[in-house]
Amino acid sequence: MTPLILYFTADYPSTEILKSFLGAVDPDVVKYVEIGIPESNPLYDGPIIKATHSVALKNYTPSHLLEYTSILNGKGIPTYALSYYEKFSKQGISFAEFLKDDGFRGVIVPDLLTDYSEESDRIIPEIEETFNFIPFFNPATPDGLIISVSSMTRSWIYYGLQPSTGIDMPFDLEEVSKRILDLLPGREINFGFGIRTTAQIREVLDLGSSGVAIGSLLVEYLKNRDLEGFRKFQVSVREAPLNAD
Amino acid sequence: MLSTQDTAIIPHEWYNVVPDLPRQLPPPVDRDEKNSSIQLLNRILPKTILKQEFTFQRYTKIPEEVQEIYAQIGRPTPLFRANGLEKALDYKGKILVKYEGATITGSHKINTAIPQAFYTRDEGSTGVVTETGAGQWGTATTVAASMAGITSKIFMVKVSFNQKPLRKNIMELYGGEIVPSPSTETEFGRQVLAKAPDHPGTLGIAISEAVEYALEKDLKYMLGSVFNSVLTHQSVIGLESEKQLEILGEEPDVMIGCVGGGSNFGGFVFPLMKKFKEAKIFASTASEVPKFTKGEYKYDYVDTAKILPSIKMYTLGSDFVPEKIYAGGLRYHGAAPSISMLVNSGKIKSSDVTESSVIDALKLFARSQGIVAAPESGHAIATAIEYARANGNSRETILVNVSGHGLLDMSIFQR
Repeated sequence: MTPLILYFTADYPSTEILKSFLGAVDPDVVKYVEIGIPESNPLYDGPIIKATHSVALKNYTPSHLLEYTSILNGKGIPTYALSYYEKFSKQGISFAEFLKDDGFRGVIVPDLLTDYSEESDRIIPEIEETFNFIPFFNPATPDGLIISVSSMTRSWIYYGLQPSTGIDMPFDLEEVSKRILDLLPGREINFGFGIRTTAQIREVLDLGSSGVAIGSLLVEYLKNRDLEGFRKFQVSVREAPLNAD
Repeated sequence: MLSTQDTAIIPHEWYNVVPDLPRQLPPPVDRDEKNSSIQLLNRILPKTILKQEFTFQRYTKIPEEVQEIYAQIGRPTPLFRANGLEKALDYKGKILVKYEGATITGSHKINTAIPQAFYTRDEGSTGVVTETGAGQWGTATTVAASMAGITSKIFMVKVSFNQKPLRKNIMELYGGEIVPSPSTETEFGRQVLAKAPDHPGTLGIAISEAVEYALEKDLKYMLGSVFNSVLTHQSVIGLESEKQLEILGEEPDVMIGCVGGGSNFGGFVFPLMKKFKEAKIFASTASEVPKFTKGEYKYDYVDTAKILPSIKMYTLGSDFVPEKIYAGGLRYHGAAPSISMLVNSGKIKSSDVTESSVIDALKLFARSQGIVAAPESGHAIATAIEYARANGNSRETILVNVSGHGLLDMSIFQR
C-alpha cells in the first residue's frame, strides 16, 4: 500500500460531491483520511484550504460526518477528524466523544500547541482516554515539546513541513526531517503541508517519513467535480516507483 | 577589553533559538484568502533567507566569506568590565558590557546586513531596498551592499532624516540612495502624504514603502529586525559573549538589552539563555513606545500597509504613530515573535525607560566609561543603572548589551 493520507474539508464543495469522492478513495493507495471540521477562522491553513472552509461552513451539518466515516470505514480506511481547539474549549471532552461516536479514530488539533499550550497537558490525556490524539508538530515545534507531547500519545504523528498548507516556501527538507526523526526514532511520523508532486512524495518517503498527507492538491479536483481526475491521481501515485529501493 | 584581535572568538555557526523555546512559535499567517502574503516573501527575499526563516535549524554554518567579513568589520566586538560605571554607582557587584558600537558602522546591524547582501548577490539580484529609523540599519545596508557589489536604496523615516543629516551623508558615502519616508516614490507613501503632508513617518510606513518598491523594481528587500532569520544572524553577539565570559571566568546573573524590533536583544540573549538558565533578563523599551506593557500579544501586521504577513507579537497596532523620540530604532510598533512569547511567559521582564532617564544614563556612561552610546542602547544602560542602584549591595554580575555608539546622535543632548 502507498502510504498516502488524504485531507478533505467536511461538506466541501457539497455533501454529495464529497461523498462521491470518498467513495472513489482507493484503499490500495490511501492509508488514512482526515476530515476537517469547517471553521470560520482556520488560522493555520493556507489560502486554498481556507477557501474550502468558507464554502463548507454554508453546507455543514454535524450529522454528515457519520455518513463520511461510514463510507471510509467500509473500505477499512481509518478516518481522523481535524478540528481547531475552539470546539474543545466550548464543548470540552464531549466533543471528542461525539467524534468517536461518529466513527473517527482520532483527532488532530492544529492550533493546540501554538495557541493553547497551557491546556495541552490536561486535554491530551483526556482525549487519549476517548480515542487517539494525533500530535501536530512543525519545524517550529521545540524539541522539549515534541518529546513531552509524543510521550502522552500512542498513535502516529502529523508533521507539517511548512508554516501553512498549500504554500510553496523554500526550506531544507532534509534538515527539517532529520530533527523530528532523530527525536522520535521508531515512531510513525507522517509528513504534510506543501507536498504537491509524486516526486516530492517520493523524496519525503525516502527521507524516512511513514506517509504523506495531501490536501490543497485535491481541492482543484473537488472544485471541478473532477472525480475521474482524482481517480487518475491516485493511480499515478500507486504506479509511481515510491518504494523502488 | 576582550578582545578585538582574537578572531577565534568569532563563531562559525549561527544559533536559532526556536528549537529550544519552551513553547511553539506561532507561525506567520495570511489574512487574505486570495493573496498569500507569505507567498509574497518568495518574491522579495533571497531564497537562502527564506530557507533559514522556515527551516528552524538550531545551528547554521556561517559562510566562510561572511566569517571573513565579520573579522573585517570589527568582530569580535569587545566585552569588558565597566569599572568606571561600577565606581560611579558604588555598585558592589560587576557590570559587564558587550559593545556592538565597535563595528565599522557603529552598531550590531551589520551582522545581518552582510549575509543578506551576499545572499542577494549570490542569487543574481542587482540591488537591495530597505527602511531605516535612526539610520543604523540603513548604514549597515549601504556598506553591506557596497561590499557585495550591488545597489542599495533606503527609505528613511522622515523625522530621523531631518534630525540626523549626517546619517544620510554617511549612507550616501557608502553608495546608497536615501529617500525620506513617507515619500512620493510609492503608492503607499503618496496615500499617507495625501492625508497628512507633514507626517513624521514611522518604521511601519517605511517598511511598507520599501516592500512596495522592491516588488515594483524586482529588487530584494533587506530584513532589519523582527524576523527570526535576522535574530539568528545576530546570535554572533551572544555566541561571542559566551566565549568571552568563559575567558573572563564570569557568569551573568542579569542580562539587559534594548528592544526595537528585537534583533540585538535576541541575538545577545538567546545563545546565553541556553547556558545561564537562571539569569534574570530585562528588555528595555522606550516609555513612548510601551509595546510590552501597554501593547497586546496578538497577531498583527509587520508593516503599516499590511503587505507582509501577520505575526504573533506584542504590538501597539501596525498604524501606531509614536512620538518623535530620538531613539528612532525603538519606535517600531511590535517585537520579534520569539521575544514576545518569552515576555508573555514571564521569562523576560520588560522595562519602560523615559527619554530623560536615557539622557542621564548616556551622560553617566560617557563620563564614567568614555563611550558615547546610541540613544537606543541608552535604554539598556538606564535599566542596568536602575538595577544596580536598586541592588547596590548585591554581588550580582550584570551583563548589558550596548548595541551601538551615539556619535551621530549628539542632538539628543541639545534638547
